[in-house]
Amino acid sequence: MKTFKILSALLSYPSDDLIAAASSFGVFLEAEAIVPPAHRRALADLIADIAAGDVYDLQERYGLLFDRSKTLSLHLFEHVHGESRDRGQAMVDLKATYEAAGLEIAANELPDFVPLFLEFLSTQPLEAARDLLGQPSHILAALGERLGQRRSRYRAVFDALVAIAAEAPSRAAVEALLEASDVDPMDLKALDAAWEEEEVRFGPGTQGQGACGQETLIARLRAARRKVDPALTHQNQGAPRHANP
Amino acid sequence: MSHFLDRLTFFSRPKEAFAGGHGVMTTEDRSWEDGYRKRWQHDKIVRSTHGVNCTGSCSWKVYVKGGIVTWETQQTDYPRTRPDLPNHEPRGCARGASYSWYLYSGNRVKYPLIRARLLKLWRAARKTMTPVAAWRSIVEDKARRASYVEQRGLGGFVRAGWDEANELVAAANAYTARTYGPDRVFGFSPIPAMSMVSYAAGARYLSLLGGVCMSFYDWYCDLPPASPQTWGEQTDVPESADWYNSGFLILWGSNVPQTRTPDAHFYTEVRYKGAKSVVICPDYSEASKFADLWVSPKQGTDAALAMAMGHVILREFHVDRKVDYFNDYVRQYTDMPFLVRLVKSEGRLVPERFVRASDFATSLDETNNPEWKTVAYDEASGAIVVPNGSIGFRWGEKGKWNLEERDTAGRDTRLKLSLAEIRDELAEVAFPYFGNREHDHFQGTDHPDILTRRVPAKRVMLKDGETLVASVYDLFVANYGIDRGFGGDHLATGYDQNEPYTPAWAEQITGVPRDQIITVAREFARNAEKTKGRSMVIVGAGLNHWYHMDMNYRGIINMLVMCGCVGQSGGGWSHYVGQEKLRPQSGWLPLAFGLDWNRPPRQMNSTSAFYAHTDQWRYETLDVKEILSPTAPEGAWDGALIDYNVRAERMGWLPSAPQLETNPLDVAKLASAAGLAPKDYVAGALKSGELKLSCDDPDHPRNWPRNMFVWRSNLLGASGKGHEYFLKHLLGTKHGVLGKDLGETGGTRPREVKWHDEAPEGKLDLLVTLDFRMSTTCMYSDVVLPTATWYEKNDLNTSDMHPFIHPLSAAVDPVWESRSDWEIYKGLAKAFSAVAPEVLGVEQDVVLTPIMHDTGGELAQPFDVKDWKAGEIGAIPGRTMPAVTVVERDYPNLYKRFTSLGPLMTTLGNGGKGMSWNTDHEVELLKTLNGVVTEPGPTEGLPRIDDAIDACEVILSLAPETNGEVAVKAWASLEGFTGRDHTHLALPKEDEKIRFRDVVAQPRKIISSPIWSGLESEKVCYNACYTNVHELIPWRTLTGRQQLYQDHLWMRAFGEGFCVYRPPIDTKTVKPVIDRKPNGNASVVLNFITPHQKWGIHSTYTDNLLMLTLSRGGPIVWISEADAAGAGIVDNDWIEAFNSNGALVARAVVSQRVKRGMCMMYHAQEKIVNVPGSEQTGQRGGIHNSVTRVTLKPTHMIGGYAQQSYGFNYYGTVGSNRDEFVVIRKMSKIDWLDQPVNAIPVEAAE
Repeated sequence: MKTFKILSALLSYPSDDLIAAASSFGVFLEAEAIVPPAHRRALADLIADIAAGDVYDLQERYGLLFDRSKTLSLHLFEHVHGESRDRGQAMVDLKATYEAAGLEIAANELPDFVPLFLEFLSTQPLEAARDLLGQPSHILAALGERLGQRRSRYRAVFDALVAIAAEAPSRAAVEALLEASDVDPMDLKALDAAWEEEEVRFGPGTQGQGACGQETLIARLRAARRKVDPALTHQNQGAPRHANP
Repeated sequence: MSHFLDRLTFFSRPKEAFAGGHGVMTTEDRSWEDGYRKRWQHDKIVRSTHGVNCTGSCSWKVYVKGGIVTWETQQTDYPRTRPDLPNHEPRGCARGASYSWYLYSGNRVKYPLIRARLLKLWRAARKTMTPVAAWRSIVEDKARRASYVEQRGLGGFVRAGWDEANELVAAANAYTARTYGPDRVFGFSPIPAMSMVSYAAGARYLSLLGGVCMSFYDWYCDLPPASPQTWGEQTDVPESADWYNSGFLILWGSNVPQTRTPDAHFYTEVRYKGAKSVVICPDYSEASKFADLWVSPKQGTDAALAMAMGHVILREFHVDRKVDYFNDYVRQYTDMPFLVRLVKSEGRLVPERFVRASDFATSLDETNNPEWKTVAYDEASGAIVVPNGSIGFRWGEKGKWNLEERDTAGRDTRLKLSLAEIRDELAEVAFPYFGNREHDHFQGTDHPDILTRRVPAKRVMLKDGETLVASVYDLFVANYGIDRGFGGDHLATGYDQNEPYTPAWAEQITGVPRDQIITVAREFARNAEKTKGRSMVIVGAGLNHWYHMDMNYRGIINMLVMCGCVGQSGGGWSHYVGQEKLRPQSGWLPLAFGLDWNRPPRQMNSTSAFYAHTDQWRYETLDVKEILSPTAPEGAWDGALIDYNVRAERMGWLPSAPQLETNPLDVAKLASAAGLAPKDYVAGALKSGELKLSCDDPDHPRNWPRNMFVWRSNLLGASGKGHEYFLKHLLGTKHGVLGKDLGETGGTRPREVKWHDEAPEGKLDLLVTLDFRMSTTCMYSDVVLPTATWYEKNDLNTSDMHPFIHPLSAAVDPVWESRSDWEIYKGLAKAFSAVAPEVLGVEQDVVLTPIMHDTGGELAQPFDVKDWKAGEIGAIPGRTMPAVTVVERDYPNLYKRFTSLGPLMTTLGNGGKGMSWNTDHEVELLKTLNGVVTEPGPTEGLPRIDDAIDACEVILSLAPETNGEVAVKAWASLEGFTGRDHTHLALPKEDEKIRFRDVVAQPRKIISSPIWSGLESEKVCYNACYTNVHELIPWRTLTGRQQLYQDHLWMRAFGEGFCVYRPPIDTKTVKPVIDRKPNGNASVVLNFITPHQKWGIHSTYTDNLLMLTLSRGGPIVWISEADAAGAGIVDNDWIEAFNSNGALVARAVVSQRVKRGMCMMYHAQEKIVNVPGSEQTGQRGGIHNSVTRVTLKPTHMIGGYAQQSYGFNYYGTVGSNRDEFVVIRKMSKIDWLDQPVNAIPVEAAE
């Protein structure tokens, strides 16, 4: 399907080739009609923008948006795993998916790069592609919203992707992404809240009374030293081990 | 009965219960275990480590799965230590363990980037022009040049291909070399010990080009000049395992658990063994928790504390009671017995220079270098003798440069420490006192400027008449204010007297109770007495980053030397700041500086260079009079600080870059036109004014640095002291300088340097940065080249903290378009060779070099300082002015030279620290190991250096530390100097040759070599100066001993002959701006301290989300509760810190940990993370260096004088910054400046 290939191209680093080819994108999008009409119109604006643009300006804009801003990273797992070590495993798994479909990554890119992922989808049957697209749909939606806040025409690509996906993103998941990582730098209250350190309090019933709190631990140690009533032990079998008393 | 029939033979029961019915087997699906298994599955484990800026050099296992780095863990296969010494493991800290994310981080630089405006101009020009012509058309057009220069720091990058980027940079270099000279191409990269091949790649390119490699150790202010002054050694320290041999450890201004995390376990372990630990630190640091006694002095007054401790030690262990061990130690291993002339100056007697053999009518029968041989009284014969080992014996003769207790005639001697018993009189000698100088923030005392003490003296008949002489020992004791009954002013018999250097006196200045001072001093010395020197001081940046760092350090060195601790296991001076010892140094130097092709290389001391080229000198506030000694010898001690630097440059003391206003590629032609040898031509033309030194006019466009490379460093983000001046003058972009220059304030202008009313802005044509992440420096660059991370390249690391050599190895290929530093510079070399023929061929380059330490040239001017420009002496290259050498550059073949080992290794051999040896064998070895160049041309038949592993093999084969055969040759070379047997130290390892694959297999210990002063053996841990004390190899100083008296004219002029207490300088940066743009909030003036951070990787990287989360997510300044309350600041408030250098914005961390009167901002916090705009500058808030500016110290400019001679990163001006004060004020309005000029473009909404 050319649609995914086009969406992939639109999210790639602008080049002279892309500019030259852009004017032909509309025809394919209309013909395949995978993207709903409303979204096609928005895409047309982006396509027109690219087709008429100066390559340096387009590149500068692209670099500032996607290369320099972590919250708009085009690497999917940046948004899910961030800097945790789970990211490596997630990339390994995704790569295996491509390999199972008989494709090997030839470009010097990571498996979770959105344009690469979209190109992969363009080689898959439509239904399968829609299913696969459904999985990261909350990330795509979040990226779309962030681009919308920046009033960027690139938003159209992500809106289109969300519309195509088999599964609509859960609003809660999108909200979580938007809230967790993209504190609006203009919103000082949010920023302060994000940086606020919890006040340290002492005494019973205060902070630190979770599973690892000092008093909990002391209580447990004491409990462990008490004589064990066999009947009671028997009754408690099967109870979750981490439940707090 | 047996259970034979009950037992199943062929089956088991799957549901059988076990463990007495407590366990039961089930058959449920176990695929959930995959989750766990996948977590630990991997395809391979690769050994690597972390490069640049962390002394750790910890070996890591890097796990790779499906070609992707997934995580890392600590390596645990270090060779065992000997019994009774803890093993080195575990090494590696939590911060290092979070590194692997950098590979795939959103911050990674993925493609070569070029400023769009520049690239557009370049492509347009290249359509019609050749590369060099294209570059010329851009930079020689004012508007074109400005169009991209002014955009620095404001975004606007686009991707470019490697070929295009390389060609642009190469064309700029070629244009610059042709138009202005190759010495206008600068390169800055720090700490070669960590990823030494990556450093060498750039340095080799620059050196083959004739460009300038800039120093880092002095610029970072991590170089302790007290070390070269005392020992003639840049820095040599015990390895961390030696802490375990100590009995008494003082941590002084060092924060071992926080900044030396992988080594800290030795510190913990030795405390279990019973060692006592004292931590001296103004704030309650991480280390303070380890202390038996935490001593909290006022910041910056450490010298006063050390002097008071020295006072106690001298009184109790040298004067009232003489400890034999201490007494013998100082006699044999220090300059204390040597004689010093006492001369009249302004009616007072002051200690002058050391008496030399040449002062006597007969020169005491010395014919070789009698001006450089110091003398002392012999107890046995009662005569003045010339003991072996002074620097005069090092050069020009063989076999007597050693510390045997003999004189030059071979007679046994026992040198006399005190002349008290044989004195002719008690001379009244004047000592300077600085503790009374006014400072708004530091407590002084009202003792007079000059303290007169009576010192035992002899009258000696010298060539120029009868002269009074005294021993260093007697002067030293008098300087400490110890009353020995000889009389004098302000001497003390008891500790409670308020006289300079008593504990009671120090209590006023430092705030430390006198009892603590007495106790620490006494226990420190008593431990050393009982253990023969096992008392150690770990010192750090907290002491060395002050303007008068030498006093802090010499005060401590004096304590160690008085107690015989230096050179003894478990004892000595342990300075672990940015040193990061490059152990296989002599194998690395040829590779890095292209010594296999050309000698000498161009090297520059960065502090002086940046002071001049970022125009910080135009804003100088420190008047020389403020630091001059009241006992300064007669003479015109006038001029500005930069004047002293210029004098030092022209006298051949310090290097210059650029060197001459004339292109050095043209000088040889001018010389031959004049019919003179280049050396004679340069000397004559400088004198006549036909040639001009660039340092006389740093603002003249012909003297600007034009191209600059930065690699392995965040120069503008982390170490650019005077950040705003860099932005304004060097880069020519938006800046936040708040103060006015001397022209505007009407201050006294320099005498030697030409003043331009209009200061240049934007001296650099091109700034190129190599990095793997978008650092602050990248943001300001014109070209950013994506480099490989530490898990994507092959390289080597060594450290001063442990004796192992570690590899970095490529776990995966560099991702995206990145390349290793070696490949990047190799590519540049190739591009350069291709474009150079347009304007450059084989050229004769005239190179000026200062008088170098560890060469015979270091015996330049033995007595006075004579300046050829003032007509006091002739201009003699290499003696009274820089040496002049002609170097042939083969520009079209630069790439071929880069990738092969040149012929000088065979014709000239190799060496280091004054020694030299033949390398024929090693060159042959490299031919078989790396293969030879088969392509016809100038390099055919030479060993190849194609890839980084070839480069590693060059280092390992040529270095004595990694090639036992070379070690034996090196020791044999030293035997020629000392006349003693040394090869036995390396003979057992003669056949050991460590290769790259060996260190990949397991960490290897280095081999003992005379390049370093410690031994690596089964009996001792590495400890500095060990071979000086135990093998009687002299220190590389004037007297050949540990030199506690500095007799150079400039040292005496600035009052630092002996160690004294000097309060911090007044930088005067607060008053001019304190009332600027009031915002209604109160303010407080605090001392600005920039320690190493807790949450940053390798003291550099803080933009990792883990680090940001663990700290506070952005820039922070720590202040005390009292100061915060005074200024109405509560924790987490946004505050602004400013002075006339600039402003920065941060959040306040209000903590009991901090001492009142100071604030702390961890260095290397990035400008790119969470920084709002400044109310003062209207710019995005600055970084920690926005409020700093460097101030040079004249005593660091001395050259051509034994140990005080120049060496790259060895001696020179240092970039101190802790004397600075800032105004701190709560902000009233936080402006995130979120949509500046070139930020995210707002597109038209529908």
